[in-house]
Amino acid sequence: MENHLLELANKALSTAEKLGAQQAEVYIALSRSFSIEVENSSIKSASEIRDGGCGIRSIIDKKIGFAFVTNLNEKDILEMAERSVSIAKSSVADPNFVTLPSASSRYPSVKGIFDPAIDNIESEAATNLIIRTVEATKNATKDLKTAVEASISTSTSTRAIVNSLGVEGIQKATSIVLFSYPTIKTDSDQNSSFEFQVSRQLKTIDPEWVGTNAGKNAVANLGGNTIEGGDLPIILTPLAVSVVLGSGFGGAINAEEVQQGRSYISDALGEEIASPALHIVDDGLREGGVGSRNFDAEGFPSRTTEVLEDGILKSLLHNSYTANKDKVENTGNASRPSYSGLPSISTTNMVIKPGKGSLEDLVSEIDKGVLVKNTWDRPNMTTGDLSALVAEGFYIENGSIAFPVKSTLIGINMRDVLKRVSIVGEDVRVTSSVVSPSIVLESARVTSG
Amino acid sequence: MEDLTHAAIEAALKVGVSFVDIRIENTESTIIEISDGVTKQSIESRLKGAGIRAFVDGAWAFAQTTDLTIEGMRATGESVAKLAMATRKQVREKFDIDGPTFKDKVHFRVRKHLKDVPFDDKIAFAMMIDKQAREYDSRIVNTRTIYGDTWTELYIANSLGTSIYIENSLPRIISFTTAKDGTNRQRGYRSVGVRGGFEEMESEKPQHIGEESAKLVISLLDSIAVKGGTYDVIMDPVFNGVMVHEAFGHACEADNWPAHTTVLEDKIGEQVGPEEMNLSDDPTLKGERGSFEYDWEGTKTRKRILVKDGVLNELLHSLETSSRLGMEPNGAARCQSFKFPPIPRMSNTFMEPGDWDVDEMIQDMKNGILLCDFNYGYTEPSKGQFMFQANYGYLIENGEKTRMVRDVSLAGQILEVLPKIDAIGNDFQMDPGTCGKSGQGVPDMTGGPHARIRNVPVGGM
Repeated sequence: MENHLLELANKALSTAEKLGAQQAEVYIALSRSFSIEVENSSIKSASEIRDGGCGIRSIIDKKIGFAFVTNLNEKDILEMAERSVSIAKSSVADPNFVTLPSASSRYPSVKGIFDPAIDNIESEAATNLIIRTVEATKNATKDLKTAVEASISTSTSTRAIVNSLGVEGIQKATSIVLFSYPTIKTDSDQNSSFEFQVSRQLKTIDPEWVGTNAGKNAVANLGGNTIEGGDLPIILTPLAVSVVLGSGFGGAINAEEVQQGRSYISDALGEEIASPALHIVDDGLREGGVGSRNFDAEGFPSRTTEVLEDGILKSLLHNSYTANKDKVENTGNASRPSYSGLPSISTTNMVIKPGKGSLEDLVSEIDKGVLVKNTWDRPNMTTGDLSALVAEGFYIENGSIAFPVKSTLIGINMRDVLKRVSIVGEDVRVTSSVVSPSIVLESARVTSG
Repeated sequence: MEDLTHAAIEAALKVGVSFVDIRIENTESTIIEISDGVTKQSIESRLKGAGIRAFVDGAWAFAQTTDLTIEGMRATGESVAKLAMATRKQVREKFDIDGPTFKDKVHFRVRKHLKDVPFDDKIAFAMMIDKQAREYDSRIVNTRTIYGDTWTELYIANSLGTSIYIENSLPRIISFTTAKDGTNRQRGYRSVGVRGGFEEMESEKPQHIGEESAKLVISLLDSIAVKGGTYDVIMDPVFNGVMVHEAFGHACEADNWPAHTTVLEDKIGEQVGPEEMNLSDDPTLKGERGSFEYDWEGTKTRKRILVKDGVLNELLHSLETSSRLGMEPNGAARCQSFKFPPIPRMSNTFMEPGDWDVDEMIQDMKNGILLCDFNYGYTEPSKGQFMFQANYGYLIENGEKTRMVRDVSLAGQILEVLPKIDAIGNDFQMDPGTCGKSGQGVPDMTGGPHARIRNVPVGGM
């Protein structure tokens, strides 16, 4: 299979070159995924999805064309290679384009990103995992009326990339996601919560942990209330960190956004932009990491990049285009939404270095404040203003958790989020591609009503 | 095409399932992204394949294939039916799928077919918009223009006898701008998206969208961040539409009922808002981005009146939810593409106009905020909680519009917000969007008149 994919990719590459592409790149992705879904605590559906496609980038005199097709039919792929060349001819030259990446030394070998146990999982085994998850969820909500939504999905994917400068890579990876979302109804209230695990290794999946946490979280959310607002200290748990810093900061250090002047971080390289308590590394090589891979979406080798050290901005995240434009080293952060798009830039695994203290310790330090367990909000990436609904969270009073909050918003600029980190805890959790403990912000504007 | 759908359905039924449906899709799309006058993305793509669902005794199975041959159809039909049979063993709640059948072929007529417009012309259009935005003011430091279009041919068939062919044509233009004045940086965007041919992009509004985006971002340079607190607010038509969509529309999607995941579960026939309020979802509007003649299960669509005179009136159904709840199907099942199963979704969702004059509404409010346009929004119907963000707004002081404010968020509880609406304007406008649910994005429109809500939490710095 691997040889066949590379052969197909090379055929498309030479077709594009023959038709006039000075440089070309072919990216093929193939995946098979299986999932089971639970509704109202009972299995309801299963699906098996096979997806494959090919994207071709052609460059002529700094003009770039791209075409993709959602199958791996040779005739369609070669037709799309031709289209990509003709689109390139119609495009407007980008003076900042220098070159695609060239073949470099051998790719690093990242451990733990392919698990044969996931690749070969039988539907009975997956069914068993999801049933255990639902049972554990219901056990945790005891006698309360509970409807559990849950899902399990496993996938195996292969990606292959070749370009005119000799880049040639192929990699297989697996992943599994287990998710439980209980909704509880009482006479006076209705609430829900969730828990999940994302992993590349089957043995790390713990259905009892997912179910029990989901159930406990939903019970804890019952009886929410509004609070008196003001400027209050905030604890962000790892889930909230993965949104606020994972997307809110991860997107701001995207070199393309910075170069275009669209990021709230600009001209800040080498400057102290964050609290000295904050250390952030982008680690594409992390063993078993959800964001790990041997090479990035342009076939450039994965690596580890120091982003924040003692609060100082050490590096932005680059792909070949932005690195060439800034005349700096490529950090191997090219990413693409499978075969269907051109490479942009994203974090691999964003790892926040832990400090000291359990979540309980962090809470005990706070007189009045808000613990934000989760939010779905992202900042305005240009101004950095963040207005976030506390999707799940609690009011802290006298060093302990008092009650869940509802209709409560946190307002703060991202530059202040970075500067006001007073404590980084030790309760590290892998959310998806963010690995972080809880962190404490000295203060943010809290509105509730 | 009938021979392909027939092959899949027959093969699946033979395995023993009771219901089968299939969607065969051929979609061609273009994406052109220009930034600062340079092509960042020029993409053409083809999406071609079939999605097949099989059902028995309350168990669903779904699979997709790009092998559009008789053999491919048979093989996928059989394997998806086997998966449904295996899943059946685990199912607790048994039910049947039933509904009316439809046979029709609807050709969507346009003047300039998206496929016939040369790529060069589409690039030229995007370049013109990008240039227009860039040249509006020297403080504009970055422009980004995205032109996208999709042309879809879709066959839908099921084992009840439905056989439908529909077409869709969706061009869209979006202009993003960034402006800088000293250390003050702002972003703006404007978009136009319709259901129609390329000629729709040649009308007044899309031809000036770059300028509109630039105008907005320059005025945002003088805006202030609002102080968080509880305010009386007036929503402009676009923001009101998003409120209706997020705070209410999602909770009306009927798949929430069997799942017990909506706070509206026991509220059908009950008062949920003021008597003068009517909320609708209407996929039959001509030329709107969220319109279609038949839904993705092949059910003929019609206008749905979600809230009538303040009372929760109707839900958004797929064949499954109408069958299970014993209600009338209304053609609200949609999917992003053949790669996904159809689920209940909104189309063009709006608040019907009332009788307030907008200027009088503002004067009458005395103090508060006028919220305009939107950045994004979301909801969790199981919690009854929602949040959405206006792109900008204006402070209202002593009944007059004063300073411009930006990124104003509004949060609240679904069951609490509608009763707080105390004035509905007599104007109307809609805006294009894309709505996400269960990993599927579908094109939609949201809108309404201006409307006022008393005493809601507004997020600020």
